[in-house]
Amino acid sequence: MIARLASPWTASLQARRRGCEPEGSRSWRGSAARAAALALALCSPAAADEAFVTNQGSGDVTIVDLATMRPAATLAIGGKPAGVAVSADGARAYVTSPEGKYLTVIDARERRALRRIALEGGPLGLAVAPDGGRVYVADMYEGRLFAVDPEAGAVVATAQVGVTPSGVAVTPDGRLILVSIRDADRIAFVDAASFRKIGEIEVGRHPFGVTIDAAGARAYTANVESDDVSVIDIAARRVAATVKVGKRPYCVALAQGRGFVTDQYAEAVSVFDLTTLAPVGEVKVGEYPEGIGASRDGKTVYVANWFTNEFWSIAADSLTVTGKAKTGDGPRAFGAFIRAMN
Amino acid sequence: MSFVVARRAMILAALSLAAFAPASTGLAHGPSRQKVTETIEIAAPAEKVWAIVGNFQDLSWLPPVAKTEGAGGNEPGKATRHITLKNGGEIDELLTKYDAADFSLAYRIEKVDVKVLPVNNYSSTMTVKPQGDKSVVEWKGAFYRGYPNNDPPPELSDEAALAAITGLYKSGLAALKEKVESGK
Repeated sequence: MIARLASPWTASLQARRRGCEPEGSRSWRGSAARAAALALALCSPAAADEAFVTNQGSGDVTIVDLATMRPAATLAIGGKPAGVAVSADGARAYVTSPEGKYLTVIDARERRALRRIALEGGPLGLAVAPDGGRVYVADMYEGRLFAVDPEAGAVVATAQVGVTPSGVAVTPDGRLILVSIRDADRIAFVDAASFRKIGEIEVGRHPFGVTIDAAGARAYTANVESDDVSVIDIAARRVAATVKVGKRPYCVALAQGRGFVTDQYAEAVSVFDLTTLAPVGEVKVGEYPEGIGASRDGKTVYVANWFTNEFWSIAADSLTVTGKAKTGDGPRAFGAFIRAMN
Repeated sequence: MSFVVARRAMILAALSLAAFAPASTGLAHGPSRQKVTETIEIAAPAEKVWAIVGNFQDLSWLPPVAKTEGAGGNEPGKATRHITLKNGGEIDELLTKYDAADFSLAYRIEKVDVKVLPVNNYSSTMTVKPQGDKSVVEWKGAFYRGYPNNDPPPELSDEAALAAITGLYKSGLAALKEKVESGK
């Protein structure tokens, strides 16, 4: 129904963008000069990236300039905004309002809302297809995943995925969508072309955030109630490992060959090595850390602290806190909230 | 068409059941967590206030509480308490953090009927901050409303949850201040 696969161009753009992350940068160091030049051009510090932080309590989005860690703008959204996803080209940001039952389409460059797309149920987690043509939105109340055409402003396909779908992620090739089915302790696999659920696997208890690595090989789920992260081999569709983390993990970010996990009840980000899966350390952050994401160069990890209304930056290698910005009330930043300024 | 109608009827039936059944677990919740922070200044040193609130097994300073029964002392992850309210309501709580040096403890509700307290997934932190010979007590809570789905009935809405917890904290802190300052 929506047989829109990533074009070779967008796929390679995505790969290069992701290639700035350290997992990729290990191969980057050992590879051809051409790849290095590309990566350098894309990782240039001249273009400051931005974060789109959804504030559920105050009903708006704080756009944070990541170079200065200062709020650059606030956009009114309404409807208790929670989920966020930015398109790979940086042109659009999408925000779900589960209470308002709509998806807001934001022109990220002009920092203004373009349209609201009404959705049934309780739209929460979402992800943007790599080519930007579809936005996949989970309806946590009626077990559905919507494929939304953001330009037409309409749902073009619906898949039944299981009770309380929450987090959503798409593989870099755009072919597969992973959805955490929170109350069933499962991950559903949805084929993007046919838009049908093609499988599911059991993970830890109450998976919420889902993160897919740059290679599209592994996915990581933060399992809120079992205090662990399931490491999923996407091709084999099985849990390859389970990593114990802190209390009430919410989301996972990947940088420097490490996984960074927001532990809501621990007021901390726990860090583990993606290869050995051994713990690396823990960073104390604000209260109830929720959304987390890594910069393109993999040097910095950003985290939204829901209770204390702050957005912090952490150096991914030294695990030190490097900056703090005020947000609106109740920042969630649930999803891919970092906008790359290409 | 009839399938759609039947399905809707079934969902409606399930929803109304959810609205009236006691919440036996605090697991299911909606998408929007709420928070409350209340503080009060008490004319007594923090040690004196902590001597009262730092005992997880005794909640007698809180006006609605009739009885506290528990086990595990003040050991985080193990200490539990079963609270019986004067109106007959019952609440089970688990101590999750305990820091005597910083006069701070955190706990969460393991089990409560939404008719007693219209919240789900409730967690709370109480901290006594020294301010010279006085102290400031801060009580913070994070929770979801009592109704886990969209379009909640008024008594289980976000507003109802916020009002209930805010009222509890304000009245509780006022009673604590009175107890400490009067020396009773």
